[in-house]
Amino acid sequence: MPDDQRVTLKVGFAEQLRDIEVQLPAGEPKPWDARSELKVVGKPHPRVEAPLKVSGAAKYTHDIVPPNALWAAVLRSPHPCAVVESIDVAPAQSQPGVSAVLALVKPGERVIFAGQDIAAVAAKTPEQAEAALRAIAVGYKTEPFVVDTAAAMQDGAPLVHRGKVTERSTEGDEPGAGGSAGQRGNVRTSPSMKKGDAKKGLRMAKVSHEATYTTQVHTHSALETHSIVVQWDGPKQATVWCSTQGIFSVRDEFAEVFELKPADVHVHTDFLGGGFGAKFGASAPGSRMGFIAGELARKAGAPVRLLLDRKEEHLCTGNRPDSRQHVKIGASADGKLTAIHVVAHGSAGIGTGAGVGRNAFGIYSRCPNVLVESHDVFTHAGPGTAMRAPGHPQGAFALELAIDELAKKLKIDPLDLRLSHDEHPVRRHQFELGRKQFGWDAGRKQAAALRDKQARVRRGFGVAASIWGDFGRGKAVVATVSVLRDGSVEVKNGLQDIGGGITTVVAQVVAEVLQRPVEAVRVRLGDSELGPSVGSGGSVTTASVTPAVRAAAEGVKTQLTALAAKQLGRKPEEVTWSEGQARAGSKSIAWAELCKKIEGEAVVATGTRPETYGAYPVKFMGGNSYQIAGVQFAEVRVDTWTGVVGVERVLAVHDCGKVMNPLTARSQVQGGVILGTSYALTEQRVMDRVRGVMLNPNLETYKIAGARDVPREIDVVFTPVDTGANNTGAIGIGEPSTIPTAAAIACAVHDALGVAVRDLPLTPDRVLAALGAVPTRGGG
Amino acid sequence: MQPFVLSRPKTLAEAAELASARPQDSALRAGGIDLIDRMKEGLEAPARLVELRWLGEADREVMRALGPEGDGVQVGALVTLAQLAAHEGFGEAHAALREAAGSAATPTIRNAATLGGNLLQRPRCWYFRHADLVCLKGGSACLAVSGENKFHAILGGGPSFIVHPSTLACALTALDARVEIRGASPRTLPLAELFVTPKQDAKREHALQPGEVLVRAILPKPGPEQRSGYAAVKEKQSHDWPLAEAAVKMSLQSGVMTDVRVALGHVAPIPWRSREAEAVLEGKPPSEALFAAAAKAALAEAKPLRDNAYKIPLAQGLLREVLHRVAGVPLPE
Repeated sequence: MPDDQRVTLKVGFAEQLRDIEVQLPAGEPKPWDARSELKVVGKPHPRVEAPLKVSGAAKYTHDIVPPNALWAAVLRSPHPCAVVESIDVAPAQSQPGVSAVLALVKPGERVIFAGQDIAAVAAKTPEQAEAALRAIAVGYKTEPFVVDTAAAMQDGAPLVHRGKVTERSTEGDEPGAGGSAGQRGNVRTSPSMKKGDAKKGLRMAKVSHEATYTTQVHTHSALETHSIVVQWDGPKQATVWCSTQGIFSVRDEFAEVFELKPADVHVHTDFLGGGFGAKFGASAPGSRMGFIAGELARKAGAPVRLLLDRKEEHLCTGNRPDSRQHVKIGASADGKLTAIHVVAHGSAGIGTGAGVGRNAFGIYSRCPNVLVESHDVFTHAGPGTAMRAPGHPQGAFALELAIDELAKKLKIDPLDLRLSHDEHPVRRHQFELGRKQFGWDAGRKQAAALRDKQARVRRGFGVAASIWGDFGRGKAVVATVSVLRDGSVEVKNGLQDIGGGITTVVAQVVAEVLQRPVEAVRVRLGDSELGPSVGSGGSVTTASVTPAVRAAAEGVKTQLTALAAKQLGRKPEEVTWSEGQARAGSKSIAWAELCKKIEGEAVVATGTRPETYGAYPVKFMGGNSYQIAGVQFAEVRVDTWTGVVGVERVLAVHDCGKVMNPLTARSQVQGGVILGTSYALTEQRVMDRVRGVMLNPNLETYKIAGARDVPREIDVVFTPVDTGANNTGAIGIGEPSTIPTAAAIACAVHDALGVAVRDLPLTPDRVLAALGAVPTRGGG
Repeated sequence: MQPFVLSRPKTLAEAAELASARPQDSALRAGGIDLIDRMKEGLEAPARLVELRWLGEADREVMRALGPEGDGVQVGALVTLAQLAAHEGFGEAHAALREAAGSAATPTIRNAATLGGNLLQRPRCWYFRHADLVCLKGGSACLAVSGENKFHAILGGGPSFIVHPSTLACALTALDARVEIRGASPRTLPLAELFVTPKQDAKREHALQPGEVLVRAILPKPGPEQRSGYAAVKEKQSHDWPLAEAAVKMSLQSGVMTDVRVALGHVAPIPWRSREAEAVLEGKPPSEALFAAAAKAALAEAKPLRDNAYKIPLAQGLLREVLHRVAGVPLPE
């Protein structure tokens, strides 16, 4: 192995390119940069697993039925707060088809949200399991509760937790987030983000704006609900199939719960129907699924399948916390921001993590004074957990709309106000590019004209930005690439494809290095025995995995080059590759011929990824990783007679480093925009404040955007950046793509109406109220 | 869902007998959309479902009829919403029914859901649908009064504040439909008499007795130059229950509106006919100002709860839109 090497990389974006020197660890391939001419990577390629998915041949956890498998069902608390006085599970044991029962609470224990685990059964059929639950007798003494965030903050509100609260964090959380700076009543203060002196900055302001913005609880609602299937292979060995975005987090939690060696827990996730941050570990955030399935299987002596229904999915598997953000923002008379001050309260139910992200703190960096104070407010509701860019969509909504409201007072175009305070060169480039492509200036004029004549149907144009970091992880992934004597190529890693398309991208990287067709690369993922890997959270998957895969493929290629040199009677350094053939001088050897010469069955190499070694041109929050930039523009149509908002167009301009596969990357951005649109317009968990239960735990009154609700047009534009971060140049896109959507839509509604709707979702009742059309109660 | 017996009688009489033998424990099944939902949610567990889709030729003919009946039009109870939405025989006179059928639910549901089931479905109120709560329908208090009532009634409410869920009922009310009932006392009655107000009986929404079957709806002979229309406002444009609906029928001759009917849906526990709006419009030439006045009159008696006062301007705006469209008066920009 050679020693550390210094290489020159051409980095940057658009016309702004420059050479930088980077120190690479030993054995690391020279990174692909702006000079690299790639044939496969960066070209659109359909998902390699698509035929399996569209034909139904792909097996998800819900499809796994080991021989003699039993169905599990869980009895859940109907009460938001109660002390369990008695519990008798014995009657369930004698119900038809029942093999095992399990009490999950003891007399004297307090349950603190409606939906909490009480008991579980395993039976031959789901109907038998459901019927057996009804035989379980539980005595409750109900206690006062609070499910409304504002009410929970009041002095004297029923206390949710009676002791110190431990934080639960997963790979879905943003690195560096979390922590506590004290707790009082139900309010737990998070460490604040501070720059300069915001209070002084506000005093200096000549024009200022102050308002409260609220956002709703948003549930993950992955199409495949949380599910786990457990089969004991021996007293200390188990096979687990789990719908998870972190195979190794399932293995480790299951091993810990049952005191096993992690290597004796074999986890499979061949296919996964979405996660959005809620699927880490063997359990759900609000239900001990791993323990329940494992313990029932052990008691019954048979495999157990625990597949949650849609109601349970809403109640106990996590959510994006709500928020109530008081924003103060000030500027000089000529439009220079003097201060941003955000005081945010949000409830992750019984959990933590209701902070509002870095949007207010990190984007408009020319503002000298910024203070963001976040608080978790505990309520008697299912725990929140990381959800696609935790904190950010909420934070973006409040800040971006406040900026628009300030811009209106300043009589400055809100896009100009943003441009004059954002120092990120890529995001500035994106704002300018979008301004032209979206028809911003003409659109804003059109909106103003309709507003001025009080038109029935208005148009509005809005823009918002996102901030995220390249959190690609070093030293976490070990990928294996093999070339067999029959010429076939295989790549293996214990990674799960959450749906973003990593299976295809991994095949592309190997195909690029070995000059093979993408279809010729067999990708094996979804199995904990295929080598260490990362969880799909924090937008890290492609950036963490592809460099290790490339390193492994380069390792195999080195061995094949040596083999070719031997066959051609030349030195390895004289061998070159083109179109899948090894050449040296006038001689060449075809791939198939070369592979036949492999001694033994295969040439195999593993690869790893070093720590991130470049972050050009802007670092994220003073760390050592690149700050990912993105902006989105939205055009809305608002019917002022009915209050209905429709999203006509979204233009999403994003940077995800070197785009590996434009087709799957675009699909991921479209998914982010659709999720954001749904959050902006309709999705909302509704809790009954009197009875403390969720009223819409379904997909009928919990309203997810359908075909007629998504923007009529979603245009995706990538502004590729070579950051020098890793050897493939990949960085993340999953989270950034959903951060600014709701904010841009809310800003567009503000443009259409001339007044802001400061509460998400932007439903007709709120639009009509903002227009002053709704009579006070009892009026006519 | 709990196991049940599925019966497939060949005659209506047999179906009626099966359903009335143990009325608390049996249910008639047509499309099964709402019924199976309620069973899956654990709200009901009937021991027997009596299928209406397997009836013999004679009964099926009536229940699947769709077309002219004398001077009017008949629609059998087993006609699906999809069939109604695609029916070309309706023309402008009965366009409201076609538009309503095409607006409800999803294509998949419309392919199975029937006219009879749509009229007789149970409320969508989230208190009624919550397996862990007991509302006025099965207990003593309407939980919406103290609870989350954004989607509840603003007209005709109390003691229950449900909104009637049937989209077809709104259109059929505007079209002066009658419904034919078979059973112990066969009869044909105006649609309004099929529905029960909560003041009459808060536990139920329709007047059918066990063993009675709604077999068809009948639309009367259209008036001269009759036209009609329907629209709904929803929070979500794909598959959502309306926040409000409006259906309008009128004859428009020599620039004057006569025989005007105005119905609103999802604002009251029954399909809501607005005689107040009709009075404003009847015998007058259509105009933007008149429509605004009619919409105001339609909601004048509204008594909102804490969270649903927005339905007043929303229903007014919607009714104005439908009036403009049906009367052919261009909407303001």
